[in-house]
Amino acid sequence: MISKKSLQWIAWVLILPVLIIRGFTTIYPILKTVFNSFYDIRILSGINEFAGLSNYINVFKDQKVLTTLEFTGIFVVISMFFHIILGVGLALILNMKFKGRRFLRTIVLIPWAMPAVVIGMAGKWAFNNDYGLINDFVRRFVPDFQLNWLINTGTARAAVISLDLWKDLPFFAILILSGLQFISSDIYEAAKVDGANGVKSFLYITLPLIMRNVLTLCIPFTLWRLTGFDLVYSMTSGGPGEDTSLIAYRITMEAFTNLNVGYAAALAVLLFLVMAVFSWFNMRFMSKLED
Amino acid sequence: MKKKLISVLLSAALVCSVLAGCGKSDSNSGSSAAADESGAADAGSDGAAAQDTAPAEAEADTGSKDGEYDLTLYTINSTDEDFNDWLANVEGATGLKINVIAAPTDSDTRQQKITTILSTGDASVDILEINDEMSASFKNSGWLEGLNDTVMTEDIRGEFPQGYMADMITDRDGQIIGVPGYSGYLAFWVNQEIMDEVGITSLDTKEDYMKYLEAASGNGRYGYGGSWEKTYVFNEIAQFVNMFGGDYLDWTNPANKEALEFFHEMVEKGYTPIDQIADKYEQMNPKFNDGKYGSLFMWGLGTDYDKAGMLGEDKIHMAMVPQFTDRKYIFTDSWSYVLNTASEHKDAAIKFLQYMASEEGMKANYEAFDRYPARKDVAEKVVPDTDPAKEMYSRYANECVVKGRPMLPQTMEFISAMGTIFQSYMKDEITVDDFCAKAQEYVETYNK
Repeated sequence: MISKKSLQWIAWVLILPVLIIRGFTTIYPILKTVFNSFYDIRILSGINEFAGLSNYINVFKDQKVLTTLEFTGIFVVISMFFHIILGVGLALILNMKFKGRRFLRTIVLIPWAMPAVVIGMAGKWAFNNDYGLINDFVRRFVPDFQLNWLINTGTARAAVISLDLWKDLPFFAILILSGLQFISSDIYEAAKVDGANGVKSFLYITLPLIMRNVLTLCIPFTLWRLTGFDLVYSMTSGGPGEDTSLIAYRITMEAFTNLNVGYAAALAVLLFLVMAVFSWFNMRFMSKLED
Repeated sequence: MKKKLISVLLSAALVCSVLAGCGKSDSNSGSSAAADESGAADAGSDGAAAQDTAPAEAEADTGSKDGEYDLTLYTINSTDEDFNDWLANVEGATGLKINVIAAPTDSDTRQQKITTILSTGDASVDILEINDEMSASFKNSGWLEGLNDTVMTEDIRGEFPQGYMADMITDRDGQIIGVPGYSGYLAFWVNQEIMDEVGITSLDTKEDYMKYLEAASGNGRYGYGGSWEKTYVFNEIAQFVNMFGGDYLDWTNPANKEALEFFHEMVEKGYTPIDQIADKYEQMNPKFNDGKYGSLFMWGLGTDYDKAGMLGEDKIHMAMVPQFTDRKYIFTDSWSYVLNTASEHKDAAIKFLQYMASEEGMKANYEAFDRYPARKDVAEKVVPDTDPAKEMYSRYANECVVKGRPMLPQTMEFISAMGTIFQSYMKDEITVDDFCAKAQEYVETYNK
């Protein structure tokens, strides 16, 4: 009789290829990035020296990075706020019974299915004062309207956030919708019999029942916002100045355009830590909610 | 029993597929290479390789083509409709079989890819086309082969623009690291229709130009237009600094400050729009075609204006740069063919470069891509007198101080930093003195 334990080596042999691939494609790059973050590596200047914590210290002195961190924070918070509010609203609309509901559910996903770079390039034109469709639309109601969205800090940031919402909100809503569809209509009928109106039903039935779904979705959607790069890259190149630069965009610029590899690695490690801490908090919150 | 049978079958299928997968890469390497080859041929011929994703595929392909091609060329021209004719010409003249990899069309992506190839010692690419920004960054890095003894020999060296060669493509040891593929100017362009409308016939001096700016501006139209996106505006700042007699790498020079104040004054008086802070060339050129701008500085021979039916002596055309101080100034640029130090096909690469530096090679470039020959002797012979660029390019060369653009080793970082503070100054977020102080700080930081 062969024991299960003595056959364990077969299991290890079978998963070994995956472990090796993972090791090379994930573990090694992470360790190498952490290692590089303690070095001053500037390829164009031919510098590669141990720098201790100076890359990390410089992060908090670098105005470009500080502006980037500011916008990243604004971008994540505002975008996620509207993802939740508008996403739930859109999901409720898509959950209503009306003619063409299936068609609407399909077409709302189109922006999400488009590559972010394409959307970013289109967005650059859409928000142009002379040729953009946004201002063209506004001028139908306000003929003298003049605003170049991408030249002022506030409007450029608003444009980037709204384009991000336009692209990803429908996907968020569709995922919320899947949660809504699990709520039995019997509960609403019972509440109606007890005298609950639409608002009360939403607040006391719908919201509690989809809350876990919303919070679960908030983890990946927030992390995607934190690592968002392509939209800004193709739409504003981080401008005006660095006002719409996101942290992932800054890392890419430092690593691949400026070739300051050590500094970029330090930024990447900090981003990694922020994401890890955020995920940990979110999971703790969810487990508490479950309790 | 049934479950056991199914699990045994599935396990067997898994093992078979794993083993088959392992074995395939060896046994079928020939067919794999064949598939790669057809992929690369498509990339070169239909222009689809201009997409950012295509080069990655093509790059992956090159490894398996060793032995089938004499050299690999990383080019920005593969999307040109005459590229295949050009390639056939070059292959016919040199006897080389050339593998083509299309460079990404987006400038940042392109620079990132080229930097990665060179810095990692990737030998899969032999010849690359690089612009001035990359030349400035790479020329002292040791990634590019010196060409003084093999290609840019003394007999032909003198025919290339000397200022450009010295400023842009000569390393600290005096080695020339590239063959300029063409000679371009940051030309001054005017809209003749607007000039006629406002009754101005010449723009020779600063006073003439100021009058034109004032007369041409108003009702949504501007005397001067630009592309002031932070990585693009560098050209214009440096051009005006030159025109005011300043030095872009010395921001303690009062003439630099004067140039900056001139930009600010243009915005204040409505001679140029602040909106162009978001514009690159693709936004600026349509506005020029639409008659929104009276004048601007732009590279090239006016292809975008020609396509819009706006190129011509009575519409949009090149003009002589106004003279603001004692001399007229103009910038020249080029994309140069360079040889990767890591190349394993240097003999073939040198043969290719020798052809590119020759009269025939320059002629092929001019005929296929409308690139004005970098060698002045070739330009004289090859460019017909009917070419409208010939006269003006000749005048630029003779009447102006021709300079290569002032760049530092950390080029892109420097350009972006300068663009950022320029935008801040134009939006009145900082003063001109703040600008000059910061600019000088950047010069010192990025010149290490």
